Amino acid sequence: MIDLPFFVDSLTTLARGIPLTLQLTAMSVLLGAVAALGLALMRVSGFAPLDLAARFYIVAFRGTPLLVQIYLIYFGLGQFPELRQSFLWPFLREAYWCAVLALALNTAAYGAEIIRGGLIGVPAGQIEAARAFGMSRFLAFRRIILPQAIRLMLPAYGNEAILMVKATALASTITLMEVTGIAAKLISQTYRPIEVFACAGVIYLAINFIVARAFLALQRATAWDRKPPALRNVESTRHA
Amino acid sequence: MPDPANIAVDLKGIRKSYGQFEVLHGVSLSARDGEVISILGSSGSGKSTLLRCINMLEVPDGGTVTIHGETIGIVRNPGQPPRPVSMAQVNRLRARVAMVFQSFNLWSHLTILENVIEAPVHVQKRDRRECVAEAEALLERVGIADKRDHYPTHLSGGQQQRAAIARALAMRPTVMLFDEPTSALDPELVGEVLKVIQDLASEGRTMLIVTHEMAFARDVSSRVVFLHQGVIEESGPPSEIFGNPQSERLRQFLSREYRGLAE
Amino acid sequence: MSHMRRNAEGGALDYFRLMGFGPDGWGRDMLAATGMTVAVSVVGFAIGIVLGCLGAAAKLSRFRALRAAAECYTTVFRGVPDLLVIYLFYFGSSSVITAVAAMFGASGFVGAPTFLTGALAIGVVSGAYQAEVFVGAVQGLARGEVEAARACGMPPLLLFRRIVLPQAIRFAIPGLGNVWQLVLKESALISVIGLIELMRQAQIGAGSTRQPFSFFITAAALYLLVTFVSGIGFRALEERSMRGIRRASG
Repeated sequence: MIDLPFFVDSLTTLARGIPLTLQLTAMSVLLGAVAALGLALMRVSGFAPLDLAARFYIVAFRGTPLLVQIYLIYFGLGQFPELRQSFLWPFLREAYWCAVLALALNTAAYGAEIIRGGLIGVPAGQIEAARAFGMSRFLAFRRIILPQAIRLMLPAYGNEAILMVKATALASTITLMEVTGIAAKLISQTYRPIEVFACAGVIYLAINFIVARAFLALQRATAWDRKPPALRNVESTRHA
Repeated sequence: MPDPANIAVDLKGIRKSYGQFEVLHGVSLSARDGEVISILGSSGSGKSTLLRCINMLEVPDGGTVTIHGETIGIVRNPGQPPRPVSMAQVNRLRARVAMVFQSFNLWSHLTILENVIEAPVHVQKRDRRECVAEAEALLERVGIADKRDHYPTHLSGGQQQRAAIARALAMRPTVMLFDEPTSALDPELVGEVLKVIQDLASEGRTMLIVTHEMAFARDVSSRVVFLHQGVIEESGPPSEIFGNPQSERLRQFLSREYRGLAE
Repeated sequence: MSHMRRNAEGGALDYFRLMGFGPDGWGRDMLAATGMTVAVSVVGFAIGIVLGCLGAAAKLSRFRALRAAAECYTTVFRGVPDLLVIYLFYFGSSSVITAVAAMFGASGFVGAPTFLTGALAIGVVSGAYQAEVFVGAVQGLARGEVEAARACGMPPLLLFRRIVLPQAIRFAIPGLGNVWQLVLKESALISVIGLIELMRQAQIGAGSTRQPFSFFITAAALYLLVTFVSGIGFRALEERSMRGIRRASG
């Protein structure tokens, strides 16, 4: 029952969408992380108006479907003549940039809470020590808070990255031919939804697996509570 | 050599409140160069708060803080918490007044050596190689030279605190503040830390130590200050404070905290 | 400059006329569509509860085959985009129905019912997430309570019903609240197969009046409203279920 040539055919066809999927993911996660850092800083600034503005943004983008956000940007912005005449229009007219923008704005809202969790997870005593040794707020943030916060937020951000890989599928609704877009076309051409789903599913699972591994590697690289090399040697000789 | 005629730290009329609760009611204390002052008192007496006012980790609501003749400017607006006029001034002074914390507060993402050189390199902007050499000598001195490439979580409490002391010394401070340096340690690790602090005291450093270790305070200080509910009850050389306590509260405190010393 | 101000004022009035309940207004349609969104979400979530319980039971069972199957289920349906799952169920059932219809002489593509296939797709995906929530909730139970019950000689089924289930439900509520929010947002994807829920209705309105922004921003506001109310509901449920329990952070 398994039609191997068809599977191989589908996989090769679908694989053509992988670069776009990866591009959309990478761009939106990176741009979104920058925005997320800004939002997180607004949240922990202690300055009420900034905190409120950030919270409003986060609630808006986490409480509405990504599809609405994509359509608002791709279809909705065209409603305003002022925008159509601005210098932004060449970008906003392109489905690619609309998708990147929507995805980035969306992940920024989730990332902001993750980053904020990392920032407030840094032990307060260590921050106090940094200030007590004469570090300015900026220096303490750069040398002490940020490195530790990044390590704390890696697991959650890994999850978010995987969610973003899946989110890029929605770009197919605005004509972009990433993996899901090609899959939809393939299904409508071959009327074999189960096989196409299986192939596309394998591709997404593979990408997610790689992303998960990458984050695990990052976590291991920043695990400064790993066993020190000296102790490990001592233990192994004892067992011998 | 420190000049005993110079006043290293001068606190005048320090007041500090948390909400409605006033912790310090106008405390004055001055430490001359080379003095080792132990600050004793029960919990809630305000002794840690007093110490933290020196390097502005707490900003006093009233009174002045003067370090080596330089008074720290404080902005006090009604309805707002007090804050320093210039953080640049505070950071400059903080680089000369080193603190050792009760919970060590070593930076967990840096090795011990990196912890010790972090502030000298990035705050004092000294040459990195020179800082490394000095750091290694300091770690040798406090007895944990073999741990230089380990991370703080791999060290015992006593080792971490000794590393924290090395970190403080690396700043070449003119004043050292110790905020209950052994209170968070298991009893068997207290001795190794006290020995290091005793060593430093004998070198003629200006040190202010908040502590519960009575015997240590008696042996190491040139002056002992007893704080009770935000006011200095009694102050004097250890022989007087421990041998001949004047105030009733001090006698009660000593009999509670250290029987046999009050004899 | 003044013509822009006039446009803005006109714009605001236009918007309210657009979304109002008058003869030109789309307000009624948008609200009806919101109802459809909630309906398909509820059905999908319910299917998800059933699948989630089955999945959790399989994951916690003694049989390796069952555990592996459950692991497959949760990994696949949490790792694959929801849109693909919707395509699978819709086109999958449509081809079956088309084939059957062809046997009776009908020609051409026969689409499967959009509500059912959409709800099923949502159900299968949310079931994978809910299975994880239930597993976490059951594992979070204090060992001691289960052991105490077993030591009293309580038969396993009774133990499950009286000890494990009530506690597990209590622990599961926050996670389920999250999954519900996911389901609500996922329901928007069913618009691609034609179900007239909120997203599709907004598209129709946008196409008809050439005012996409107005319609999509209204849709966004309505989603926010449903999300907000749901959030309050789940928080209230959490409070009630945690009555009498002292939490570690409390």
